[in-house]
This record gives sequence, C-alpha cells and structure tokens, in this order.
Amino acid sequence: MKILKIIPEKCTGCMRCELACSYEQTGTFQPSKAVIRVSAFEGHTSYAPYTCPQCDEAWCLTACPVEAIGISPAGAKDVADDICVGCKLCTIACPYGTMFYDIDTHKAFKCDLCGGNPACASVCPTDAIVFEEADKTDWVGPFAAERAKSPAGPLAGVL
Amino acid sequence: MARHVIVGGGTAGWNAITTLRELDKGESEIVLVADETPYSRMVLPYYLARDIAESHVYIASPPKLAALNVDARLGARAERIDASAGKLILEGGDEIEYDNLLIATGSSAVKAPVPGADGKNVHSFWTFPQARAVASGVGEGEGARVAMIGAGFIAFTILNALVNQGVKLTVVELESRILPRMIDDTGAGIVQDWLNDRGVEVRTSTQLASIEDKGDAKLLKFKEGPDLEVDLVIMATGIKPNIDWVADSGLETNQGILVDEHCRTNVANIYAAGDIAEGPDAVTGEKVVHAIEPTAMQHGRVAAANMAGQEVAYKGSLLMNIVDVLDMEIASFGAWDDPDAEVFEAVRAERPAYRKLLFHGGRLTGAIILGKTREIWTTNDVGMLKGLVYTGVDISEWKEHLRENPFDVKRAFLASGAAGGLLPETVLGRPSISAHEIAISS
Repeated sequence: MKILKIIPEKCTGCMRCELACSYEQTGTFQPSKAVIRVSAFEGHTSYAPYTCPQCDEAWCLTACPVEAIGISPAGAKDVADDICVGCKLCTIACPYGTMFYDIDTHKAFKCDLCGGNPACASVCPTDAIVFEEADKTDWVGPFAAERAKSPAGPLAGVL
Repeated sequence: MARHVIVGGGTAGWNAITTLRELDKGESEIVLVADETPYSRMVLPYYLARDIAESHVYIASPPKLAALNVDARLGARAERIDASAGKLILEGGDEIEYDNLLIATGSSAVKAPVPGADGKNVHSFWTFPQARAVASGVGEGEGARVAMIGAGFIAFTILNALVNQGVKLTVVELESRILPRMIDDTGAGIVQDWLNDRGVEVRTSTQLASIEDKGDAKLLKFKEGPDLEVDLVIMATGIKPNIDWVADSGLETNQGILVDEHCRTNVANIYAAGDIAEGPDAVTGEKVVHAIEPTAMQHGRVAAANMAGQEVAYKGSLLMNIVDVLDMEIASFGAWDDPDAEVFEAVRAERPAYRKLLFHGGRLTGAIILGKTREIWTTNDVGMLKGLVYTGVDISEWKEHLRENPFDVKRAFLASGAAGGLLPETVLGRPSISAHEIAISS
C-alpha cells in the first residue's frame, strides 16, 4: 500500500502543500483547512510537514459512535459526510492531532489521500513529500528530535 | 461453541459484539440482553437539534444484529446472576447459561432530590425516550423558556441544540462554576462570559429547592436568589451506574464494578465494561469510573478480545471530554485538576483562548484547551494534547519553552517523537477494520 512519506530534511517551508491540500479538499485556498500542515523550526531554518499517518489502530474509526469512518480503497481512513453528525469524538480519540472539524459543514475531516493521488505530494517541488510503497514509520520523528536536542535548545534563534 | 452473553446494548455492548465477530467470524454464540434496541447516546443532541432523523440514532437495528448472528433479546431485562451455576436470570424467570458474561448495563440519570422533580415537563436527558420527551417539550423552540438544572458535560452537549432553536435558556449550577468536572475556574469564567454575551443566563452557586406548577408553567424556587418561571425543566444533575441488580452476585463493587486491565471482574468468566465498570486510569493507574463514550468503546473491545480467548491487557482509560458551546470549543484531558502538578497556563483574552498544561517531571499528565471553534481547528493541538497525555512521552526538552508559551504544543509533540511512539500502539494488538467489513463466515 502506498503511503505519504515525508522527508522533512528536504522541506523548504514553501507551503505549497498546504495550499494544494486545501484547494483539493475544500475548493478554496485556505491553509487553515489543509490537513497537511508545516511546522517551522525557526532556530534551525527547517520545516516539518505533518499529516495523518493512516495509523493501523485507526483511533478515529473505532471511536466514531455512528460508524461514519471507514477505510477507502486508497487505504485512507475516510469520513462519510452523510453519516457523520459532527460530535468530534474522533478529534479527541485521535492522538496524532490529525482529525479536524469543519465549522462550515459541521463535519469531521481528515486526510483521505485525495482518493489515491495526494495533492501535497504532487505539488511538492523538493520531493519532501512523496507517495510511494513503504512501511509505516515515523518519518518526522528523527528529524524533529534532532532539533529538540540541539545544544542551543529549542528556542535558539527564535526569540 | 462458546456462548457469550452480553447485558446492555449501549456503546460497550455493541463494541463487544462487533469485536467478537471480527475475531471469530461467527464461531460463537452471542446473546444480547437489552431492554431497548441499541442506539447511540452520543448523537442524541443532534436528534434534539433536528439535524438527524430518528433512524440515525440506532446503531444496531434488528436486521444488523441478525446479520451478525446475534440472538438479540430486545425488551428483556436481566434480574440477577447465578455465578455458581453460570446463569443469567431474566425478569420473568427465563435463564440463560453463559460461558462468558459481559455486564454493560450503563448508567442512569439522577434527578435533584427536590419536591416536584418527578412532575410533568421535568425531564432528564440521558436515554432516547428522555431525549424524545425533551424534543417534544421544546416544541417549535422559539420563545420556549427552559431551565437547565446542572451545568456539567451532559447539559452542555444539548445547550447548542436548545439555544439554536430559539429557546430562552437559564442554566443553574450548584457549584461555584460551570462545567465543574471538565474545566477549571479560569476556563469556566471565559465560557460563562461567552454564554452571557449570547443571551444565556447562568446562575452558579445556586441550589434548587423545589419545582411547582404555575398553570401550564413551572415555578422554580431556590435556596438563594429569585424564583424562575419556565415552560420546561431539564435535569442534568448527574448519572449513576446501573449496578443495583448485581448486588448479590459476589462481584466486587465500589462506585462501579471493579475490573482489571482485561476488564475481568473478581468472578470467573464475568466481565464488565463502560459506565458500569471501574477500571484502570491510563494516567494514574488507579481504578475509576469514566462514564464517557471512548472508555465504553475501549472497554467493550478489550473485554470481547479476552472473552474470545485472547490475552489483551488494557493500558487504561483516559478521562477526556470535548464540547462545543455556541462555537466555542472546550476540551480537557487526563488529570487536568491535579493539585500536585506543575501548571503552565495562558489566556489570550482578545480571542478568547485558554491553554493549561499540567506536568509531572517531563511528562504532560493533563491539559485544558479552549478557544473559538473556528480557531481551534486551524491547529493540531486537540489531538496532540491527547497524544502527549496518553503516551506520557518525555517532553523535558520543551518544558521550559511550554512554560513561556503553552500554545506551542505542536512542535513539542513533533520533536518528542510522540507520533512515532504511537504508531505501534494499539488497543487490541492488530489493525482496526471498518465496522461495515465485519461479517460472519457462511
């Protein structure tokens, strides 16, 4: 199964993924509604894109009281809008912080891998986000931990 | 073939059924004893809001139960357990032998013990029939005067539905703040101001004394403060586990039925799950009743896996709640009111927004997050706070930064490797599947 693989060392923080994601998902250019989001580690001039890992446990899916969340052919945990009531249980069940609520539609929303052709990966100019066959693993972790353990500390250069 | 008998068709019971079938594909007998057709309590506020049809409330229709080969005794009530004989005795005298018994009889609403509490147009909001009664009492909504007695989580889940239908709402709370078991004084103050600005009257530190009839209306009298005349009274004054019927069964009980990390009771082959079970807390390890939907779901799944012969240990349930109050999002996780914790907090009054982080050493053990719904979901913070509290990952490196800026949760989460630590973490030790894919082999 193809997954979204993130190589943060290659990310320049251009935010094209957030724009493409929000456009694909909502039809508007609203990074606030993107389901991939880039964190800046300013002190290091480095960036970490982050999105739903499509975890095996599927915390969102098991938590849903109306069985609105299923697994799509692309392997994404996906919300069925006609069943979701917007109770937000999935948003507190998901420990990754990748389950969101849309105040305009009153539904939960998340990364659905754009049905198998993720916009974020398509538009990334530096191949920091790729969609390929790979084992699920924490792509962001080693990168970010390196930033955390900087001798100068996480705030170096920020303030 | 093993016979699993499940008493109670709520979230815990239903998740036990689907998990059993997920594991055994039909190679066991399942008997469900439930006095109602299973429905989802979580969606009742949306039913009250008239967002969804009545049919949307039912999670397990009789055809669905039949498709999973469940012998559903709907309308039946359990009377007692004869553990030495391995039998469940129903009201009316029918007996059901079990190999494994799951007690998932949930909890019931408790009304404030005042004169008039059982009068007409005074309703709890807990069961589907009660929700119907409230929906009918609110009628067309516009202009109806409603008193909500109790300002806890349950009250707040239906506040939007009432206010958005034009109800004139007064919320009355015995304690000194609203949501006393979900957020602290600072958070409650922000929410109370938010409500007042939107036309909802809130009376705290106010004890109801009696409810009288005044024509078709209800007249509420209090130990202190002016009387209140309304058309409908909703009693959101707490719940208690439905435990009385197991009194002579030999089960160890406290507030609920005590269970271990496998959701097993002290009596062989008897399990308990959900609101009625008092099991381990994920943060403290102490046994507690967490009468919340996620705990009922996980208990049901863990109990079922063990009933099916697996040895699945549960890390414990995490206390957590989220509620939207007129487009303000309020959530808390874990030990958010722990007086022994190191506390970092910040208010941004102009938004308004509030964050509170509670630490023990390098570990986040509790959190409160509050802000406008439109703003909260531009962050990843709700779930990330849950992830940090649930995993107990060491974020010492970011602690001093969070002391100064409790709002910068995301980078601490990413840099701590919390996401990587979560990937191998599962409740049942294998990938979850969609409920719609669970079927019996035939």
